[in-house]
Amino acid sequence: MSAFNSQLNSHSPTGPIEDRWTNHRFDLNLINPANRRKFKVIVVGTGLAGGSAAATLAEMGYEVTSFCIQDSPRRAHSIAAQGGINASKNYQNDGDSTYRLFYDTVKGGDFRARESNVYRLAQVSGQIIDQCAAQGVPFAREYGGYLANRSFGGAQVSRTFYARGQTGQQLLIGAYSALMRQVSAGKVELLPRREMVELVTVDGVASGVVVRNLITGEYERHAADAVLLCTGGYGNVFFLSTNAQASNVTAAWRCHKKGAYFANPCFTQIHPTCIPVSGDHQSKLTLMSESLRNDGRVWVPAKAGDTRAPADIPESERDYYLERRYPSFGNLVPRDVASRASKLECDEGRGIGNTGLAVYLDFADAIKRDGEDAIRQRYGNLFQMYQMITGEDPYRTPMRIFPAVHYTMGGLWVDYNLQTTVPGLFALGEANFSDHGANRLGASALMQGLSDGYFVAPATITAHLASGNVKRVSIDHPAFEEAEAHAKARSNKLLSIQGGRTVEGLHRDLGQIMWDMVGMSRSGAGLRDAISQIRALREEFWSEVRVPGENSHLNPSLEKAGRVADFMEFGELMAQDALNREESCGGHFREEHQTEDGEAARNDEDFSYAAAWEHQGVDKEASLNKEDLTFEYVKPSTRSYK
Amino acid sequence: MKLTLQIWRQPSAEADGNFEIYTVGGVSEDMSFLEMIDQLNRQIVLDGGEPVAFDHDCREGICGMCSMVINGEVHGPIKGTTTCQLHMRSFKDGAKIVIEPFRAKAFPVVKDLAVDRSAFDAIITAGGFITSRTGSAPDGNAILVPKEDADQAMDAAACIGCGGCVAACPNAAAMLFTAAKVTHLGSLPQGQPERRARALSMVQEMDSQGFGNCTNERECEAACPKEISVMTIAQMNRDYLRASIAGDEA
Amino acid sequence: MLGHLKQALSASIGKKAWMAVSGLLLVGFLVTHLAGNLLYFADDDGSIFNAYAEALSSNPLLPIAELILATLFLAHIALGVRVSMENRAAREVPYHAKAAHGGRTTASRSMMITGLIVLIFLIIHILDFRLDPKAHDDMAGAVQAKLSSGRGALTYGVGVAALGLHLSHAIASAFHTLGLNHPKYDSILQTAGRGLAVVIALGFLAFPIYIYFSGGAA
Repeated sequence: MSAFNSQLNSHSPTGPIEDRWTNHRFDLNLINPANRRKFKVIVVGTGLAGGSAAATLAEMGYEVTSFCIQDSPRRAHSIAAQGGINASKNYQNDGDSTYRLFYDTVKGGDFRARESNVYRLAQVSGQIIDQCAAQGVPFAREYGGYLANRSFGGAQVSRTFYARGQTGQQLLIGAYSALMRQVSAGKVELLPRREMVELVTVDGVASGVVVRNLITGEYERHAADAVLLCTGGYGNVFFLSTNAQASNVTAAWRCHKKGAYFANPCFTQIHPTCIPVSGDHQSKLTLMSESLRNDGRVWVPAKAGDTRAPADIPESERDYYLERRYPSFGNLVPRDVASRASKLECDEGRGIGNTGLAVYLDFADAIKRDGEDAIRQRYGNLFQMYQMITGEDPYRTPMRIFPAVHYTMGGLWVDYNLQTTVPGLFALGEANFSDHGANRLGASALMQGLSDGYFVAPATITAHLASGNVKRVSIDHPAFEEAEAHAKARSNKLLSIQGGRTVEGLHRDLGQIMWDMVGMSRSGAGLRDAISQIRALREEFWSEVRVPGENSHLNPSLEKAGRVADFMEFGELMAQDALNREESCGGHFREEHQTEDGEAARNDEDFSYAAAWEHQGVDKEASLNKEDLTFEYVKPSTRSYK
Repeated sequence: MKLTLQIWRQPSAEADGNFEIYTVGGVSEDMSFLEMIDQLNRQIVLDGGEPVAFDHDCREGICGMCSMVINGEVHGPIKGTTTCQLHMRSFKDGAKIVIEPFRAKAFPVVKDLAVDRSAFDAIITAGGFITSRTGSAPDGNAILVPKEDADQAMDAAACIGCGGCVAACPNAAAMLFTAAKVTHLGSLPQGQPERRARALSMVQEMDSQGFGNCTNERECEAACPKEISVMTIAQMNRDYLRASIAGDEA
Repeated sequence: MLGHLKQALSASIGKKAWMAVSGLLLVGFLVTHLAGNLLYFADDDGSIFNAYAEALSSNPLLPIAELILATLFLAHIALGVRVSMENRAAREVPYHAKAAHGGRTTASRSMMITGLIVLIFLIIHILDFRLDPKAHDDMAGAVQAKLSSGRGALTYGVGVAALGLHLSHAIASAFHTLGLNHPKYDSILQTAGRGLAVVIALGFLAFPIYIYFSGGAA
């Protein structure tokens, strides 16, 4: 097993939890408004976290340089979030409070998140809604003009704010417009179609980045007093996920290799209701909103290998397995439970469709009960989307669904100030690990991204800049020379191999290993096997990959090759983390650690910690650092949905 | 399925481009249009060529990155969809498909089918926002927004900034894009203080980016994957003219 | 002082607004012109029509009205040409495959062509009736003489048809350009715009058709 290094200090304040953020903020150093323009901050990524942070820091007076990988900041993948954003406003008078949102989030995260962070998140959640409403985010409204709410993901209170099924898009456009306002004010230098390829450190302090201009292929150096990484999650290590094609781990991984610890990489969220894979050509998976499980009934044929059409299978030969196994929650069990249950059915041969990797989500009873019009009103756009992709009419025949990788709770380890183990390097949003523990609740990702960007980071980064521990150097500094040379050498290496396999094919192979052995259900033997397979595949990658074209122009294959190369290293760390965590919790399920009836068995005695991994070199095992998690307010208990 | 593709190839913005003909086999009707191009690219790479560059990202119709003109139709033949949402079952076996980039002077080709749409960002930078600094917002319920206004704002805010309106417009005008933002913000009480100045400055920027003029032919609305209405253009015209007559400052 | 108006004129929406305003004023002129012309059918010997023509041409305000009309026409044409040139420049490389998305109509597509035909027709029309001194002595007779010939009837028929097609896109479009449209009224506006275009076109077409086929008796 890995060597255990040290105990990490989260710099989390103490005292009554409701005063911690207020007191901490008072203790943080400030910078006089007139002096702020002397500081430069780099923000990598323009999603909810990056966009909101860049805009807010610029409003405060800092000089900001903002990078995004797409052609416009408005295209960051936050845009694809559908359901909504939580806030403990208690506008519905149904008993919500900051404490309840905090409580639900800690419990939902299966007691693997840091209490102080989660409380702060709940505390600022209301301000996020205020901020977004002021920006013109067209939240759903009641007839009287007040903000509307809905209950989401099985929550007992209606605390989710939404803008139709496009909440992520609308919040992102809000952040984007705030960002563009600062571009127009000259406070933000916006550089799109750039990919961060190296973090530059001087004496161990983050001093800038090297980015590749994706159009010209040039490597550009940017020096700053602080670097914010807002580059999202790593779900694409599985090749197939609901993430966008460009979502990747590269920026975070390059920081990891420069000293930033990576925490809990094995905590991934697998969403139960996605459209199943239709064939080898598939490039991504499409999420169908969780709300469908309110009316749809999940079933498979009771007999393995039953290939009859669904309509030909009589009621008595169907197995409504969620209703059978979880009589009190039925089809509404949490995401991780529902996903694992459908995997189990498919593993035992009862999966449906050509691939046998799908289950039915049937609306026949709901249509009979409420009428087709009522169902159309509720889910019309989703049914239409399903039909567009599959060519099947879900009003007539049951939907086919299967779980898909959706969100990653793990990320760069950060302290209470969102600072990584590299001073001056901060990680925000999905790129960090901090607030969701082992499982994220629905409608909480948007909340966290914006909390970090609008409210937390601007305060804590100011304190960092005021601390004097900044290493602002010229871009001619040897550290920049070295980083750029390293990045160039890497590209040249990738271009020089000219083997017989495409980047995509190798990525697909990696994804298969990850899905089979580091996916919904993991075992010690499988994980060890995965590690050796990943190592072999990595070797094959570096000898067999074929990257066409050159470095000096737009070359999507080269970009992708660099990202896949990093996934090849990162996948191993994920497996290692999963192997280390000898318990089942949240999105992490170890087959050796389950109760008699197949439910997750958490081990608070030995694993109530965040596992923060320290890079020791490629092909070497990372070393483990622990941050012990203590629960002063929400006492760990076992989740049960029976 | 087997298809013949006629695709615009252009190595860079400065270089000349031309059409190349490709044959791609083994196409499944369950493939999305972009997955069909992925298949072609695999073939090209293994044959030692350089794959077709095209913009894409979320592949679920919301990021606005994909941008192709398929047989003369922006985002292909199905209404209300982006290219990534188009599936091969919309085509017949043996079909010949012409694939071109979005064409507009303001959207120069970057490479092959990828174009530069930064002109849209410039239009937003000119005024596509509400000035509300972080921290200064009142309680969300302090500003009441009638449901009808919120719905109208949302209809316009659904724009994904793909540029399909420009590509479909006979005049390569960016009216629908600009109007969608003007209408989104102008329909809300929060957007009133800057409403007229916003219309003026965004239209000025739109003009300076080299887009054409509106001739009210409604091709933009017909091609828009989010089916945004040209009524937003009427609203922008109204706001703009009111501001012009009043002599507002942009 | 009115710098902002000048600036508004040079912007895309400004140019279009001036085109819309000039176009709508011209439509107003067409309606009164048609109303006056219909006096041709008021009696058998054309004396009412001739009296109207006489009153019009002897009105001291006529040159001013004509000047305004000419300005409107010229402004409308100049702006139209300029807008068209800019539109052409906005797409340097045309599409190889051409397909409509369902918004364009024959009328909207051919605005420049119908506009040009109307311009040519207008010149002929002015030469025929406004600048020909003989016409002023007996306007009804001049009309009858011109339109009873096959060539004359055809010229006027084509000119007026082109005008009708032009207007069938132009009227609703002008209101839209001026911001005078709303989802609730759009279909009414479209129908009304086309309806007015048809009325104007049929009204003017009545002359060549009636005169040609009746052999000229008013």
